[in-house]
Amino acid sequence: MSGAFRRAGLVLGLPVVLFVVWWFASYDSKDFYRPPLHKILEAFRDTWFGERMVQDVLPSLIRLGIGYAAALAVGVTLGVAIGSARWLRALLEPVLEFLRAIPPPVLVPIVILLAGIEDRMKVIVIVSGAVWPVLLNTVEGVRAVDEVLADTCRSYRIRGLARLRHLVLRSASPQIMTGARQALAIAIILMVISEMFAANNGLGFLVVQFQRSFQVTEMWSGVLLLGLIGVALSLAFRFVDRRVLRWYYGLRAVERQPK
Amino acid sequence: MLAVRGLRKVYEGHGRRVEAIGDLTFTVGAGEFACVVGPSGCGKTTLLRCVAGLLPPTAGQIEVDGRPVSGPPRGLALVFQEYGRSLFPWLRVRDNVELPLRSARVPRGRRRDLVSEALASVGLGDVHHAYPWQLSGGMQQRVAIARAVAYQPRVLLMDEPFAAVDAQTRADLEDLIRSVWQRFGVTLLFVTHDIDEAVYLGQRVIMLSAAPTHVAEDLPIDLPVERDQLTTRADARFTELRGHVYAQIQAAKRAEPSEV
Repeated sequence: MSGAFRRAGLVLGLPVVLFVVWWFASYDSKDFYRPPLHKILEAFRDTWFGERMVQDVLPSLIRLGIGYAAALAVGVTLGVAIGSARWLRALLEPVLEFLRAIPPPVLVPIVILLAGIEDRMKVIVIVSGAVWPVLLNTVEGVRAVDEVLADTCRSYRIRGLARLRHLVLRSASPQIMTGARQALAIAIILMVISEMFAANNGLGFLVVQFQRSFQVTEMWSGVLLLGLIGVALSLAFRFVDRRVLRWYYGLRAVERQPK
Repeated sequence: MLAVRGLRKVYEGHGRRVEAIGDLTFTVGAGEFACVVGPSGCGKTTLLRCVAGLLPPTAGQIEVDGRPVSGPPRGLALVFQEYGRSLFPWLRVRDNVELPLRSARVPRGRRRDLVSEALASVGLGDVHHAYPWQLSGGMQQRVAIARAVAYQPRVLLMDEPFAAVDAQTRADLEDLIRSVWQRFGVTLLFVTHDIDEAVYLGQRVIMLSAAPTHVAEDLPIDLPVERDQLTTRADARFTELRGHVYAQIQAAKRAEPSEV
């Protein structure tokens, strides 16, 4: 019981301290650009819990969801193909290295020309950045399939889709999840950036809009909301990760035990 | 049931040429339990991988059940030495045993019976839902054996399956494999570097020479069918056979045939 308290204290301690410090340090701030925290919280409530939730937050999250899912699908599919065939790897590696080296935000102007400024553009930008960690980690994971397990599958004539599902994907799943975790962070960043260039709704669009119209308190509340969304998504990711990789964490804990 | 004729395997690469197997010929009849022993580095594992269709021979033919082997043959199961790496760590014990059956499209009800029977026959009726890594090494190898048994192979190959477990577990597993063999009537080719184990287990011991490998001697083991660790190993005939095999292997190491 005291262990649970201790852990809760360790997890929540610093956020609570920072919140309290921010609260009191900014309490009677008259600085226009640094409004008091209680004002920001008020703005937070008034700004986001209303139609903006539907008109701006939801579209942002939907684009994020579609872009992230597409990045996972494309990254895993290509990663399995590239990781399985040596010639394909040799063929694609130079091109992939080049494409990966391009910072995704710089693609935004190009994508706008090619795909317009609507949702399609934003999803493409998210995919173009988030696909890389998934792709590269999947390639590594697929290449590292244990030889004995691969021989086991061969001798039991487990092939085709069954092999893909029960051997290749499962064996690569720890690396795929690592890539997916990095991709999630990148996808959130690109969701915001894609909305800052050309948009008429979305979280990134609103934060820029507030800043340009000197609604500084609202702007701060937008940043706060983005932070909270990030935390919520990463908690959700942790939950999924623990379920999908339960075998992996269990196996590692056993291996770490002194013999 | 299992025929190896003129098998030869040469590894080539990086400017080196290693002749692992020179010229191997032997047959194992249906339902027979044959052990293969030889000095270390004599290509025992290479032989097994060729028979399992995992490695193409340089020359010679292998037949399993009357059909030439060109890839992993139907009705053949292989138990590896590295039990920890041959079980799927993301599948529970039950699913590990079941997977080859699912892949072979065995109907669900039949699958369930085969899996339960196989796990019971290796004394693991109560760990269906554990993950392999939660079990001891000996138990993991039992799971691998159960998986092979459930697959109902006509030929079972074992590659030093007990080399990585402790001595007591090893004795238990030896008796287990004898009982599995008797119960399911499978043709068994068992590779080991342990002379005692080969004599204790097999109806025949095939002794290999050092590389380039050929059959040094093919010795029938005329011990009684019912064997147990205490009396069989104390049997004068056991000691005699064991001494003979030992001398032959020592001679093979010196690469000259001996007359014992």
